[in-house]
Amino acid sequence: MSQRESVLQRRVTLGAMLDTESFTEVVRGFVELYRVGIKVFDDKGAKLADIKIGNGDFCGYVFSFPEGRRRCTATVGRVKDGPLALSHGARLPVLEPDLVPQARGMLTVPCFTGLRYLIVPIAWEGDQIGRVVFGPFMPEDLKDFAPKTLTEIAEGFDVGNAKTLVGKVRRAPEGTIARVMLHFGQLLQTMLFGGQKMYLTSQLHIEATLDNNRELEERNKRLEDANTRLKELDRLKSAFLATVSHELRTPLTSIIGYSEMLAEGLAGPLNGEQVDYVRTIMEKGETLLKLISSILDISQIEAGKVRLNFEPMDAVELINGSLSSLRPQVQKKGVALEAKLPAKMAMVSGDRDRLRQVIVNLLTNAVKFTPKGGRVAVTLTDVQQQPDLNAPGYRILVEDSGVGIPADQFDKIFNSFYQVDSSSTREYGGAGLGLAIVKSFVEGHGGVVRVASEMGHGSRFTLVLPVTPSTQQHILITPPVTSVSPADDRF
Amino acid sequence: MQLNHAQRELTVKIVYYGPGLSGKTTNLQMVHQRTSPEVRGRLLTVETHDDRTLFFDLLPVFFSTANGFKVKVKLFTVPGQVIHNATRRIVLQGADAVAFIADSRRAAAAENNAYWKNLVENMKENNLDPAQVPVVIQYNKRDLPDTKTDAEIEETRKKGKEPVVGAIAIRGIGVLETLYAVLQSAFRSLEARAGLTKNIGLGEREFLTQVFANIDVTGTELERILPPRTPGARP
Repeated sequence: MSQRESVLQRRVTLGAMLDTESFTEVVRGFVELYRVGIKVFDDKGAKLADIKIGNGDFCGYVFSFPEGRRRCTATVGRVKDGPLALSHGARLPVLEPDLVPQARGMLTVPCFTGLRYLIVPIAWEGDQIGRVVFGPFMPEDLKDFAPKTLTEIAEGFDVGNAKTLVGKVRRAPEGTIARVMLHFGQLLQTMLFGGQKMYLTSQLHIEATLDNNRELEERNKRLEDANTRLKELDRLKSAFLATVSHELRTPLTSIIGYSEMLAEGLAGPLNGEQVDYVRTIMEKGETLLKLISSILDISQIEAGKVRLNFEPMDAVELINGSLSSLRPQVQKKGVALEAKLPAKMAMVSGDRDRLRQVIVNLLTNAVKFTPKGGRVAVTLTDVQQQPDLNAPGYRILVEDSGVGIPADQFDKIFNSFYQVDSSSTREYGGAGLGLAIVKSFVEGHGGVVRVASEMGHGSRFTLVLPVTPSTQQHILITPPVTSVSPADDRF
Repeated sequence: MQLNHAQRELTVKIVYYGPGLSGKTTNLQMVHQRTSPEVRGRLLTVETHDDRTLFFDLLPVFFSTANGFKVKVKLFTVPGQVIHNATRRIVLQGADAVAFIADSRRAAAAENNAYWKNLVENMKENNLDPAQVPVVIQYNKRDLPDTKTDAEIEETRKKGKEPVVGAIAIRGIGVLETLYAVLQSAFRSLEARAGLTKNIGLGEREFLTQVFANIDVTGTELERILPPRTPGARP
């Protein structure tokens, strides 16, 4: 919420709209051009400009007498703080008729010395926000100087001296001075308009910037809170998954174990049909166990709990080990399995168990999606500079002649629980976690996974792995939750 | 509203709100053109090089009541571009009524709705109760192709309590009618809240007649409502 009252709500003062220094220069220019002093006051009586000309010596002489000082102070007080009305000795100026409408509000205040002041109010949006005082000047119509009001101030008042000194004061008809005042008034209005524009916009700019900052801070706070909440929820989800998986796995191990004992005849001989049934229980149990292990893996990856354990390893041995665990499936499915491995290869660094799981997952997929009589191949390249990594590394290619993957799904297949065919009648089973695990582990090594595929002709997964994994931690980002405010459309 | 009893002064603030390029500044320019210089200040506009309002426009109109109370009506526009929301919010501070300038074109409906919601949000941010601050909707640009029909606008009107005025602001059509409607709504709301008739002796009729006394309403609907105008004479 905007706390402070805006500049737009406040009354503008003359001082805020005028740049005092440049304004004083303008006033000085006017004074020198027309040889009449100008004073500008705001509505509180504060002086904004005061340029004198010609009257200094004369006024100084008058001021040197105590009564002169008293009368002078009274006149200046009237001019500066007196009402902008025809009272307290003020009268309408004597003007040529054409000037009368424009000179509305202008006042003449005579000085006891015979000199005169003209006052014009400064109007702004219907308010009087200050006044301009012109003078003193010697009115053209004043015939006999010095008047009695001046000569009477002291016995020793020297009229001759006064006449000499007053000669330096500009002599002009009231109408002429009024014309000068009107010009000055127009100029002042223009300056005020420009000044007001500058003042309001610069203040408003500051206000808007502060308000923007405030809003951003509030928004950041809300986002931080939401983020904390989401992280907590995410942690709870992972903890839940881990717990559930663990609780599922324990009884399942017993189911598989007891089935195995039954199948081996430890509890007495079974007939052929019974053995088949028990083996089916075992196989399905194994499948379920793998699935639960995958869920456990992915929940640990997402919870950031997986720490890879890098050690020197032989990549050829890694592939051979993975292949041997796949053989039973391969034989059962009736696909050909080929391996193209270098005869000898330098040791590389990696997490052997995780990489084995990566290759097994890829090979399992390859076998799963390849029909009987098809072909699955795994290729390992020797260590060489890898442009993908900008470092020395090696490649593992897993190819199949299976169903293939549509090109628009290449990115999505690496998401957790994603299946290309997610219909209830889909042909291939699985939880959609295998490739998500592959990607996490490979990236955890500082490597990349690529996929290429042609529908109906097969797929090729390429792993590019560095010889020495970078130690950077993989960071998971949870998408922010957006809130939608339910407001009705008016139009 | 700012009511200063010591200085015998009442300031009423009207804000022209709405999407960018819907014609808020044009409305103010037209009011400015038709108002005699004695009762208005200069039109303050701050624009970017491509004529988009950068901060706000301000047109002050002022008069004195029969009781000698000084009344200032300050007409503001807000910048329409999305990025200037903070400025919109600040300009909206203390608004007594809002003229919502909507673009009548069908394609502009989504923008209109977005700014309507933005108006409501910013009112709340400023502690203004959207149910208390009156709004008048101006359907501007009635002359452009693909605008909503009168029947469709009538449908829109029925959705809320706000008065709806059709306009072609660039030609001055509907501008003063909108101003009249928004000032009338503002006065009624202030009357209910602050009892202007009782407290400062200013009634709705005097308020509206005084504002429009120095505005040229020739050729507008207001000719029927307001007393005939004698140029230069005070009502």
